[in-house]
Amino acid sequence: MSAPLIRALLLALLTAFVAWPVGHFVAPWAGWTLFSVGLGLQMVFHFRNFARLERWSRAPVVDSSLEGEGAWDGVFGRLYRHEKDLRAQIARRDEEIAMLIAAGQALTDGVVLLDQQNQIVYCNTTAEMQLGLVIGTDRGQPIVNLVRQPEFVAYLQGGDFARPLTLRSERNEERVLSIHVVPYAGNRRLMQIKDVTQSDRLDRTRRDFVANVSHELRTPLTVLAGFLETLQEIEVDHDEQARYLALMSEQSQRMESIVQDLLTLSSIESAPPPANDTVDMASLIDKLRRDAEALSGGRHNIVVETDGQGDLRGAEPELVSAFGNLISNAVRYTPAGGTIRISWHASAQGAEFAVQDTGIGIDPKHLPRLTERFYRIDRGRSRDAGGTGLGLAIVKHSLNRHQAQLEIRSVLGQGSRFAARFPASRVVGF
Amino acid sequence: MNDSQHLSSQFDEDLSRLRSSVLQMGGLVETQISAAIDAYSRGEVASVKHIVETDRNVNDLEIAIDDDCAHLIAKRQPAASDLRLVFGISKIVTDLERAGDEAKKIAKGVRRIYEAGQMPSQYGIGVRHIAEAALGMLRQALDAFARLDTELAVKVIQADVDVDTEFKSIMRQLITHMMEDPRTITTSIDIIWIARAVERIGDHAKNVAEHVVFIVEGRDIRHPPKEAKA
Repeated sequence: MSAPLIRALLLALLTAFVAWPVGHFVAPWAGWTLFSVGLGLQMVFHFRNFARLERWSRAPVVDSSLEGEGAWDGVFGRLYRHEKDLRAQIARRDEEIAMLIAAGQALTDGVVLLDQQNQIVYCNTTAEMQLGLVIGTDRGQPIVNLVRQPEFVAYLQGGDFARPLTLRSERNEERVLSIHVVPYAGNRRLMQIKDVTQSDRLDRTRRDFVANVSHELRTPLTVLAGFLETLQEIEVDHDEQARYLALMSEQSQRMESIVQDLLTLSSIESAPPPANDTVDMASLIDKLRRDAEALSGGRHNIVVETDGQGDLRGAEPELVSAFGNLISNAVRYTPAGGTIRISWHASAQGAEFAVQDTGIGIDPKHLPRLTERFYRIDRGRSRDAGGTGLGLAIVKHSLNRHQAQLEIRSVLGQGSRFAARFPASRVVGF
Repeated sequence: MNDSQHLSSQFDEDLSRLRSSVLQMGGLVETQISAAIDAYSRGEVASVKHIVETDRNVNDLEIAIDDDCAHLIAKRQPAASDLRLVFGISKIVTDLERAGDEAKKIAKGVRRIYEAGQMPSQYGIGVRHIAEAALGMLRQALDAFARLDTELAVKVIQADVDVDTEFKSIMRQLITHMMEDPRTITTSIDIIWIARAVERIGDHAKNVAEHVVFIVEGRDIRHPPKEAKA
């Protein structure tokens, strides 16, 4: 027994001890009266405390403290502390739960928790938007009642969650969702929803690319196969044969250059960041001018405009191929007698390499797609000019790797200007 | 979901399964309509066959659900709101099945147009637009049924007026077009059939929404008195 309890008992005994001699020596009624009064007083004291406890227990608030008297003080104190601890614990738990929910909300993927019957237990805002749910009203609702697409229902009820389900969003036709169900805690399920619109589009681009490559390679291959067949089946005279062979070698050259460009493109794409060598622009431009003159064969007027200042930091082979591509395009698409202007201007703010021609020009509507692989304005013409359809894609990639922008300006019938703008960080010599 | 407490949870389970199967049927019809719209606007004649085949599943579901309703009434003798739910479901299913039929009609109309080497594109935008509005109505009506949300149901009922108005304006355009150039009559009539089917889908969506109000509130709002209509 604890001390307060013993004390309360002793007090009752003490009353009896005091009352007994009085009853014995004075008068029995006096003893009894004394005993009753003593016990009565104790009862009043206990009753008061009981009333206090009763009042507090109806609304156990912790800010108004529970204080007792005598033997009750310790009891009340412990009760009060216990209540206070519990409350603190609940508050901590609440905070933890709120944090977990906040973490769920912060996820960029949609998350839905389902119970054994596929009823919605929780979902975050992203999922609400993706699936058109409203967690306030939809808790406890079977998810298939709201996401009713037959593919989804079959997936969820099929129980084979090895592969995610790709679903076109019902509420927003443009979005493509990838839904992955993960079973957890026995029969419960977690649904993870990714918006894969972007990668879906990429996949399509990739498929288009493969189709384009196949088409581009098949065209010369058909020509080759045709001539081979002719040569095998029909006797042709020597001159004819020589002509065929020339055409065949031309076509195989074409295939060779397409494959070469594809390899270049893929090597640029997968290569580590370009080297940081200093490229001597004066000599590079001189070399580019000589190449341009060789390619033009004197049909064009080639002008170089440069103040000879500033060099570039980067991978020389890539830059040479990018600039060379721009120049060879200019030569190819400029009729004889036209002017091709190669310019290089650098300052502390950045640098610009530009090739301007007086060629046939490009319709503005083609400009945004010009650097796409195999994008052709006029299939026949570009092939006649010996293009593979990959040149500008390579240029754009190489320039991007040097943080440079390709700026194209063009007026139909008057000529085009292709400019590569380099940021200050790529320029040396200032 | 259901206010009244049931002694047997088996009954609750039966009701909830019934609701879910109605919504599954709804999902099937929604996809059917959406596929029909795609077929119409992109000329995907290949998907027509699939839409027509799906209609058979929808019909089977209608019969199965109706059967379940009858069984439930016979076995459990539901009362009050439960009885309303079962009745309402039986009506919703009929409307869903008809909406599915309209989707089939659209698909067949699309096939006729494209097989004749024509394109519905001139009026395609208008018809496509109301088709999407009607599909949206059906989707909302089913959402209202899943959530027993009368507010949303009332919104669907009100939206039907817009679909009807737009349908009439498409009709006028097509009539003008046919008068100007009689060679377009065949295609125009097919487009009218399609637009008509779309308008009917809107009507069925409205009916579903009305059944939802009946299920929840127990009042029939199908044929309001004249002054309420205005």
